[in-house]
Amino acid sequence: MRIFWVLLKKELRGFFVSPVAYIVIALVMVQTGFSFRAALSILETGAHSQGSIVRWTFDSQWFWLSYFFIFPLVTMRLFSEEKKLGTLETLFTAPVRAWQVVGAKYGAAVIFYCILWLPSLANFGLVEYLTGGAVEMPVGQLQGSYLILLLMGLFNLALGCFASSLTSNQIVAAVISFTGSLMHYLLGIFIIYVGKRVPEVFLDAVGYIASVDHIRAFASGLIDTRPIVYYLSLTLLFLGFTHQVVEFRRWKP
Amino acid sequence: MIEAQDLTKRYAGRTAVDAISFFVKPGEIVGFLGPNGAGKTTTMRMLSGYMPPSSGSAVVAGYDVFRDSIDVRRNVGYMPENAPLYGDLRVKEYLHFRAELKGLRGREARRRTGEVMDMCGVTDMRRRLICNLSKGYRQRVALADTLLHQPQLLILDEPTNGLDPTQIRHIREMLVGLKERQTVMLSTHILSEVEKICDRVIMIHHGRIRACDTPQNLARQLRAAATVSLEIKGKGPMTGLLEALPGVRKAEQEENLNEGWKTIMVRVEAQCDPREAILELATKEHWIIREMHQQLPSLEDVFVELAASDAPPADQ
Repeated sequence: MRIFWVLLKKELRGFFVSPVAYIVIALVMVQTGFSFRAALSILETGAHSQGSIVRWTFDSQWFWLSYFFIFPLVTMRLFSEEKKLGTLETLFTAPVRAWQVVGAKYGAAVIFYCILWLPSLANFGLVEYLTGGAVEMPVGQLQGSYLILLLMGLFNLALGCFASSLTSNQIVAAVISFTGSLMHYLLGIFIIYVGKRVPEVFLDAVGYIASVDHIRAFASGLIDTRPIVYYLSLTLLFLGFTHQVVEFRRWKP
Repeated sequence: MIEAQDLTKRYAGRTAVDAISFFVKPGEIVGFLGPNGAGKTTTMRMLSGYMPPSSGSAVVAGYDVFRDSIDVRRNVGYMPENAPLYGDLRVKEYLHFRAELKGLRGREARRRTGEVMDMCGVTDMRRRLICNLSKGYRQRVALADTLLHQPQLLILDEPTNGLDPTQIRHIREMLVGLKERQTVMLSTHILSEVEKICDRVIMIHHGRIRACDTPQNLARQLRAAATVSLEIKGKGPMTGLLEALPGVRKAEQEENLNEGWKTIMVRVEAQCDPREAILELATKEHWIIREMHQQLPSLEDVFVELAASDAPPADQ
């Protein structure tokens, strides 16, 4: 376990010595800033018969447009860089186990991802403070929204980790990770367009796995355990895959 | 310290290391010699627990490389080829990180980091980012890393590759200095290197061991293959008389030249120089010698021959 903490510390440090971390933080702040400002303008026009400031913030194209850029940027270098530099060999000739390495890299990515969202929370706090509670701030929706962001993050980061373990080329890793994450999200939107032309069973299945419905439910403060289990199991699945890929060198025929 | 038994590594359709068996005694410095692609790196990776053998087994520092890979790694300091390091860390940070990874804690980790930096002469560079170091210093940092946990065995893959002569000498002196406490196995292309510091040499080619002996013995064996070539004219059973000389293993007539001149190749026993005897014999028998030339194959010749002449095994 001690080895795991040493590795985690090193990986976290790795995030903050590279410029990528700051670019990603800036990206997320701009993104949430835009969508938050857009939500405020809805509030200004007074058309707030339905919804709340939280829902408008997360239900905007600003937000989802850039959301899926986060994951490739955060995860692409995790394994690819070490593969390219050859440091994976140095790493694995020290007494470390594959799960410690995978866990540390993934853990560092998750911690960084959580830090990313802290500034956006301040937006809501600030409105609450400045308006003295005049703007309705639905706590349930806020919790739900951030919970689904965390859950989707856990899954997409695991997917990114896996993509990064597959190749020594960071660009390739980024493209795999981005495509995977976006396809998973777009599946739910795609199905709206195809609509009735596909069998009912298929629609139900997609409705169950696609993020769009989960986001809608959680953003309205409805915390459903099914997506929680779903995202956590996907996360474990992809971390397991990553572990296998990293260990593959040991089992290569 | 190392006992390898039929160690084999197959990559998809290609056998990189083919059933090699050897041993390394504690306290030895063993040179691992062979042309590029001979299987040196693969063998060393297997011995260091980085990847398991396809078949066969190896016991390193008392642990099986496959079953107790972590224990093997605890007792081995491995330096990969080209010394891959994290460029975004400073020398001291990197070594401290590696020390912690190898199970050293707090004060001890700091102490060992300082010690190995002194040993390898990188103390002045401790605040530098690794990406800004020259190749020589990177190599030294990698070597310092292998020493951190005071392993019983060092496995070094071309530790002197790309260094200048002064740096090579420095590393050589260091390795000899370590000899009392550590067993060292190193691979290299530089033959003079091996002759100077290694107790034993293992030559490998196409994944098989071709020779395994002390450098002195190897050199002696190689000199056994030394030849003296003669251009000679005269009467009588020349080859027979030449073979009767002490120290001559075999004499063969190679070709007939014009006007009765012939060339004769004389193969010579270990550490013998029969040239004077040949001359005396020639005077006695009234032969005329117009050329006599001795060829001593160096370790290098054998190395080159090994690399060039052997056809790869059929399964490749």
